[in-house]
Parts: sequence; C-alpha cells; structure tokens
Amino acid sequence: MTRTRKPGVSRRATLAIMGAGAVSIATPFGTPWVARAQAKTIKIGMPTILSGRVAQLGTSSRNAVMLEIEKVNAAGGLAGRTIEMVIRDSKGQPQEAARVARELVNTDGCEILIDAEASSGAFAVHEVARDLGVLCLHTNSETSALTADPKQHIPNAFRTARQGVHDSIVGGSYAATIAKAKGLKKWATCSPDYAYGRDTTAEYVTYLKRFAPDIEIISESWPKLFQPDYTEVVTKILQARPQALYSCLWGGDLTSYIDQANIYALFSQMEVFAVNMADYTALTVVKNLPKGIHSGNRYIKTYPATPENAAWGDAYKAKYNEYPTNWSWENATAIMLLAEASKKANSADGKKIAEALRGLKIKSPFGADGTVTMRAEDQTLVGYAIGWGTTIPQEPYVPQVQAGDWKTIFELEAEWKKSKGYT
Amino acid sequence: MTELQAEQGAQALEVSHEAKTRRNRDALIALAVFVLLALLPAVFSSKLLLDFVIRCAAYGLFATSLNLLVGYTGLISFGHGMFFGLGAYGFGLMMQKTGVPVPVAFVATLAITFVVALVIGAICVRLKEIYFAFVTLAFQMLIHSTILSWVSLTGGDQGLRGGIPRPPFLGIDLSNQLHLYVASCALLVIGLFLMHRIAQSPFGYTLRMIRDNATRASFIGIDVWRAKLTIFVLAALFASTGGIIMALFVSGAYPEFAYWTISGEGIFINMLGGVTTFLGPMVGTVLLLILNDTVTRLTDYHGLVLGIVILFFAIGLRKGLMDFVVEWYAQRRNGDGERR
Repeated sequence: MTRTRKPGVSRRATLAIMGAGAVSIATPFGTPWVARAQAKTIKIGMPTILSGRVAQLGTSSRNAVMLEIEKVNAAGGLAGRTIEMVIRDSKGQPQEAARVARELVNTDGCEILIDAEASSGAFAVHEVARDLGVLCLHTNSETSALTADPKQHIPNAFRTARQGVHDSIVGGSYAATIAKAKGLKKWATCSPDYAYGRDTTAEYVTYLKRFAPDIEIISESWPKLFQPDYTEVVTKILQARPQALYSCLWGGDLTSYIDQANIYALFSQMEVFAVNMADYTALTVVKNLPKGIHSGNRYIKTYPATPENAAWGDAYKAKYNEYPTNWSWENATAIMLLAEASKKANSADGKKIAEALRGLKIKSPFGADGTVTMRAEDQTLVGYAIGWGTTIPQEPYVPQVQAGDWKTIFELEAEWKKSKGYT
Repeated sequence: MTELQAEQGAQALEVSHEAKTRRNRDALIALAVFVLLALLPAVFSSKLLLDFVIRCAAYGLFATSLNLLVGYTGLISFGHGMFFGLGAYGFGLMMQKTGVPVPVAFVATLAITFVVALVIGAICVRLKEIYFAFVTLAFQMLIHSTILSWVSLTGGDQGLRGGIPRPPFLGIDLSNQLHLYVASCALLVIGLFLMHRIAQSPFGYTLRMIRDNATRASFIGIDVWRAKLTIFVLAALFASTGGIIMALFVSGAYPEFAYWTISGEGIFINMLGGVTTFLGPMVGTVLLLILNDTVTRLTDYHGLVLGIVILFFAIGLRKGLMDFVVEWYAQRRNGDGERR
C-alpha cells in the first residue's frame, strides 16, 4: 500500500466531517425522531417496498391507505384517536423489512402494523409480529401458506389480500369451461421462474385438469423475473402449436411479453389466459392490447359492477391521477376492516381489535356480494370479488366478468388444505 | 492453522514476551468492550439501540472477516456473502428440523461451513485477482440458486418460514431480546479478538507478505496455496457466525442473505471504513448501518444518498474513514514533532 503524503486537510474541513459524523451518530439514539404525539393519536406502521423494480407495489398501497385513513380520521379515527401513518421503505429485503417493522413498533411507538410487503418480506414481518405480539395486517402477500399453514398461525396476524389457491380454483374452473366449449386440448404455460410463478401455475393446471381431465400440457416456458426479451419464449410457444396458453406473468413483464408476442401475431393463433391482465398496471401500459385475452380480475373499477366500486376507483384516480392497482384494494380493505373492528370493540387496543376482527363481515366495494369477511378460523379475507373475463382494447377493458363461485372455492379449498396436511 | 502458525512462530526472530503482553492487552480490551456493551442496556433503554448493535455484530463479523481476505491477503472475494447465507440457513434449518440445542446447532453450522469453504476455497484460491473474484461470485450464485430451487428444504424464494425455535440453554434464552443482544455482543467481541490475533500472528504477517509479493513468499518456502486456503476457510467461519446472528435476529433465513448484494455490501463497508486498519470494517459497518437507518427514515431516495456517499469516499477521500483518521493522526503527530 502506498502511503504518499497528501496535502493536509484543513482544520475546518476536519471539524465539519467530525460534526457531520456526530450528528449522524446522535440522531437515531437521541430524542425520538417524530415528536411524541399526544395520546389522542394512534400510530400505524407500514413497512413496504418504495424503491426498485416493484416500487409501484408500495406507492399504490400507500395511496390507498392514505385515501381510507382520511375518511376514518374525518369520522373520528379509531375509537376517537386520530390515526397517524408511519410508512417506511424496506427496499424489498426481508432483513430490512424485519428491522423496519421492529423499529416502527419499538421506537416510533406504532401500535398496529400494516404489512404491505411482498412474498418473503411478509414472512419476515410475520415473525416480528409473533415476537412482539403487535396486531399485524398482511395486505399484499397472496402466498396461501401464510394463513393456511397452522404453523404460521398467530392470533394477532390477519391477511386482507386475495389468496393464491382461491385464484387457481376460479381460474381453473373458468378455463375448463372454455376449453370444453371450444375443444382446447393442447395447452402451453409461460410463467416467471420463481416461487409465485411455479406454484400458481402448478395449482392452476391441477384445477384445470380436475375440471377438464383430457387436457394436455405440451410446452412449458419459465422466463426469468424481469426478463427484457421474450423472443425465444414466444417462438418456442409458437413452434409447439398449442391451442391455449396460460401465463401468470405480471406488471412490466406481462406488458413486455404482450408487446413482443404481438409482433408474431401470437394472440390470433391461440386462446390466451393471463391471470394478471385485468389490472390497470398492465391494461394501460400495453401498446396494442389484443382483444379476447382471458384474465382474472385484479382490480378494475367496473367489477364488481357497483356504483360503490366505480366511485372508489374514480376517487382514487382523482386524487392520484392514476388508477388503483390490485394492491390498492387489498390495502384499502385493511383500513376499512380496522375501522369497523375498532368501532365494534369500541377501542383502539390491538388485542380487542383482533378479537373483533375474527369473523367480521363488512360492507365493501370489493366484495363479491357487496361484503367481505375476515374468516375466523384462519384469519384471512374471503368473499372478495373474483372472476374472469375477456379484454377489449379500450376502457372498460374487461366489459364482462364471469363471477367465481365462493361455494365451490370453499369446498375445494378445504380439500386442498387437507391434501397439504394443514387440517 | 495451528500447525502452520506454530511452525512459523518458531521461526520468528522476535521472542514471545512482547507478543504475550500484547495478547494480554488485547484480551483485556476485548473484555472491557464486552462489559461496556453488556452494560449499555442498563443505561439506555432504547430497543432500537439493541437491534442496532445486534445487526452491527452480524454485519461487523462478516465485513471484518472479508477484510482478512481483501485487506490482509489481497484476495478480493465477490462471493463472501455465500458463507453469511450458509450460516443463516445452516443454523435455521438445524434448529427447525432437528431441534438440537442452540450450541450444538452453532458448532454444527460452523462445521458445515468449514467443509464447504474448504472445497470452494481449494478450487478458488489458486486463481488470481479478477479470476478469483469471478469464480467466488460464481460459487455464490450457485449456492443462491440452490437455495431458490431446493424448495422442499429451503422454502425457495419465500425463505425459511415459521420462525426459528430457540430453546433456552444454560439459562440463556435467545428469544429474549436482551439475551440475544448480550450473546451477539459476546460473539462479536470474541470474533473480533480472534481475528485480531490471526492478523497479528506470524501467520497474519505471512498473509501480508503474500499480498505484497506472492512469488517472493513462495521462494522463501511458504506454501502460498495452503496459507490462502487457511485464511479463506477461517474468514468463512466468521462470516457464517455473522449469518447465524442475522438468522436469530430476523428469526428466519432468506435467499437475499446469500445473494451477491450482501457480498457487495461487505465490499462497500470495507471501502467506507478502510482496509488498512483492523477496525476499519467495523467502523464502516457502524457507519453504513447508521446511514442506512437514518436515510431510510428521511427519504425514499436512499439509493441516491448512499451513492453520493460512496462517490465521496471513492473519489473524494480515496480511502476509508479509518485510513483517513489514522493518516491524519500520524500527520498531526509528525507536524507537532517538527514544531518542537
């Protein structure tokens, strides 16, 4: 190592550096960052992803939460206490999600956590909730095991999002009906190569075959998550000549895929089932949205076709100048449930709210029948709007949605749980 | 290692009296630091502080062990994070699947790391500079991919779920945050003490010689490959200990722990703190974590802020903070000497 003598640093510069160092060391441990608010307010902490490739998850979750919080606060808050949100970025790293969640509770004095993390981050926050016993609402993780697996179960954690297995059951039964009607026997799949893509596709195929047993999967493609070029995948599918294609690509991946597959006129050669199509993140970004893609509803303001849902979608658009996402309704639901449970318990105490949440049924713009329910046995959301339809290139994008049947969902879900050894 | 150390120790000209007092002094300092850290919760009741120190212990052990390779031996490893991940997964899986007592799982995890590091090291340390860097990176990605695809064992990209059970042992209950804090401090201090002993031993000086001129080292009869492999394995053990602390902190293990970004963070910490002093990486760790935590609180654009800080250190100072402080101190002392 060379040790050439550099011209000395001035005393002033040194002092400035030392000063900066002292300040940065002192701040986190010094006086609490946010001035301790009066007991009148209640703080809710929210770790989420606000940077990187999926920052939209965090921003659209935050927007929806703030939209609902305004309403709740205007109506008097949680049992008379005004809600103050503390929202922080976890960068999509589970260890950061855990750290941020602990910090929110231990240092910022948050009494409730809205966990707007995706996949592994949600499990990390779940462990924090288990450790600290704080009331926690998972709003974005759709991994079935989070609530279905009894090993994960803790009395203070709830999920207000859809669940993978529900989607697969409805998607599978819808596709089977179409397959029978149109004689679609040869299928291909094309999904992102990570847990969500693999699991969702496997479950979808299981239910598809259950409802239409003579179906055959003749080609599988697993592009990488965030892959920029799909030419290879598209040509592989075209060469296999399937009659139908299933995909659970989402967001930017789905839109790039469609744009590139359009060049090969893929959509005129087979029926395409893309579960994540009917979300404004994809619908509004695709250059030429092909007609007739089958999609599950993620969030569209026209399904459920109720004035309440349309009003909610428009209010969101008016405030943020963009349409809500699937994540938005899931987060809004968390706040709606919180407010209702607090009213029922007449308290802002986490334990009492948790007690009130179990089995709570509320009116909701996102409900299949105008209500959603927090199922008591596994503390997850049921009864939300879930259905499939086909696209058209302009608004309302998916004009007719065929609703999924919750009775069938419950039956098959119970069976699925048994097969997994959960019950 | 001991054999090698003993061999070279015998050859060393300076006889051990001075070394012995230095060792005693180090041990005393380590003990004092541990007592100080252990007393901290009695003075400050902040749970944030405890979390912070636990994370410092995890990253500090990891970064300091990386410096044994980068700073002392000149082996720029881009894949050191794999041992961090290995420690976290090894320990987490052992506790979840077998239910053995914590110390047994701890030792067993280190044993696994030892074997894996021995195999990977044997292949890698023959290579020079950029080739070494890239092959270590390749192995890291291999381990990362294995974690992702071996879903039945590791839970794939959802990580090890369901929490890590930690039955109390010898009156220590690691699910109690205070106990975990004290245990982490102990592991950190012992780890740093051992690494310092390694760095100051004749073996440590052999490493410096290899760094500066490997050909010369081999000409005077040093088995360069063996020395490099020894330090590679030792560094892996300390990194793995860091991973174990992290797994205990988050009560889980996630593929991100074995991803290249962790290795990158390690290198960044070393740049921040400086590689020419033993405590540089530890200072870098504290600095980075403080920066990360405060910047995340203030803005969503933390990437931008951290980037500017890296630029400041890389282009502005051209060295780590500790290098800068040490040089500044030396310069000042010389300056005073001249004046007198």
